[in-house]
Amino acid sequence: MPHPLRTTTTGPRMEGVAAEVPRPAGQPVPPAVQTAPPPSPAWRRHAGSAGRHLSRYALLVVLIALWQFTSTVWLPAKDPYLAVLMPAPTSIIAATAELVANGDLFMHLFASLKRELSAFVLSLAAIPLGIAMGWWRPVYVQVNPVIEILRPIPPLAWIPLSILWFGLSDMQNQFIILLGIFFPILVNTVTAVRTVDANLIRASRTLGASEWDVLRTVVFKAALPQIITGIRIGLGVGWMALVAAELVGATTGLGFMINDARSILRTDIIVVGMLTIGVMGLLIDLGIRWLGKRLLPWSPALAK
Amino acid sequence: MGSLSVSGVTKVYGVPGAPGAVTALSNLSFEIANHEFCTILGHSGCGKTTLLNMVAGFERATEGTIAVDGTPVGPPGWERSMMFQDYALFPWLTVRDNVMYGPRMKREPKDEARRQADELITLVGLAGFEKHYPHQLSGGMRQRVALARALVVCPRVLLMDEPFAALDSQTRSFMQDELVRIWRHEPKTVMLVTHSIDEAIKLSDRIIVLSSRPGRLKAQIPVDLPRPRDEDHPVYRALKKQLRDMIHEEMEEG
Ligand SMILES: Nc1ncnc2c1ncn2[C@@H]1O[C@H](COP(=O)(O)OP(=O)(O)OP(=O)(O)O)[C@@H](O)[C@H]1O
Ligand SMILES: [Mg+2]
Repeated sequence: MPHPLRTTTTGPRMEGVAAEVPRPAGQPVPPAVQTAPPPSPAWRRHAGSAGRHLSRYALLVVLIALWQFTSTVWLPAKDPYLAVLMPAPTSIIAATAELVANGDLFMHLFASLKRELSAFVLSLAAIPLGIAMGWWRPVYVQVNPVIEILRPIPPLAWIPLSILWFGLSDMQNQFIILLGIFFPILVNTVTAVRTVDANLIRASRTLGASEWDVLRTVVFKAALPQIITGIRIGLGVGWMALVAAELVGATTGLGFMINDARSILRTDIIVVGMLTIGVMGLLIDLGIRWLGKRLLPWSPALAK
Repeated sequence: MGSLSVSGVTKVYGVPGAPGAVTALSNLSFEIANHEFCTILGHSGCGKTTLLNMVAGFERATEGTIAVDGTPVGPPGWERSMMFQDYALFPWLTVRDNVMYGPRMKREPKDEARRQADELITLVGLAGFEKHYPHQLSGGMRQRVALARALVVCPRVLLMDEPFAALDSQTRSFMQDELVRIWRHEPKTVMLVTHSIDEAIKLSDRIIVLSSRPGRLKAQIPVDLPRPRDEDHPVYRALKKQLRDMIHEEMEEG
């Protein structure tokens, strides 16, 4: 099924295709052109790749320029109120400087990170549970139905009940985040344990490993790459849930910050908050990936 | 010590007599003496892996007993270590740590485990590769690690399930010579399973030929040739022909 958007990528692709136009049959293949290219100096190759990198962001640059124009020229000309709704990139930079200077941005960022982190630590319980479910069939049979019922409920759907349970507190926020992180880790751990290469387990047993040894030294290790994948997904889901939870039930955090800014119509602060949330989410993801690669250099799955 | 005795062993997968039950081995009996290199030869599906699994303790015989040094075998353990066709090395451990795994499971102190491991790594010709990970090694080198790992625990019986089947033919023949060298240096009771006639003749003191499914004892053939064995030796060639005819016969019946 050709995707309409795909056509946008055919530009650069076409070059590759043109270079490989099939030769008419029977025509002798001309000898490879031996005009040895002059050794390209390192700086030139660098410049070339830098140029390619820049051109990758061409659309982004154009969009930002358009946005700047819309917010500072076009919208104010139409209706000043509209201009407030769409803060210009320059005012966002100014707001960022302001929030960094008065410390608000980091205060809220750290409040959010702290919640994410403590929920993450709690949700590590999913790893032993997942290993138990993947290893002992009766545990799986008993626990899985419970999981299957709870898992499809979006963390956000728990917000009303959790407010009644925990009040508007850090606990309530962490509970919502926990729900977001827990299930991806659990599901990935269970799958990982169930797909551990049977011969590795057999090898360890013929080398004298007890069942506990097998779990500790083989099953857990073999499952680690996918557990880390689960953690990555979990932290991502948790981060989204976190911001939503803070919108409703918190007095600190990035979610609170953007909701608070709404009440005083500081759209620039809202956008700064949104961008911080996005960048932080990306950094967490990159950080876990980097850690995974460093800690498990043997794993082809994480090397990608 | 390490003598293996298989007596009257039958293995049925599924409920015996019920439809769908597969008899993999039927009333199989043989002995392997201490430090004897014995090869089980038979074509695909005759129950070689099944036999190995029962000796290792992964499966139980439906009938009959398997004993090592007179004691019926229990759950898997280092007295019957095993080498696998796909190496089954732990990818997250270095060569040294893979080889140290067995001694560590025997609760040897770390220094002692390391000393034993390094000795075996040198024996199999991998000195200098202690810190490599399995994915950084060639197939032949991986199988050397697997051999070191299986030997370092001093098993009474060493089990091998087509250990060289995944290697290209040159590496395979080289590894067979290496195995003979290592085995003579470190004599062990070996039960090796293969469907390669050459491998059987090249390696073993005795070849046990199984019939096609259900596997029964078809013949036991001692190989009285000095090692390393020359493929052009008339006895070698006569033996090869004899075994080939036997296997052919089985395939026609099967
Ligand atoms: N777990 C099992 N359940 C049911 N049948 C099995 C099982 N394992 C093996 N069998 C059957 O037992 C027979 C012998 O299998 P086995 O794997 O021991 O043969 P093999 O001699 O090792 O063959 P190959 O040379 O192909 O490895 C086969 O017919 C197989 O289908
Ligand atoms: Mg087999």
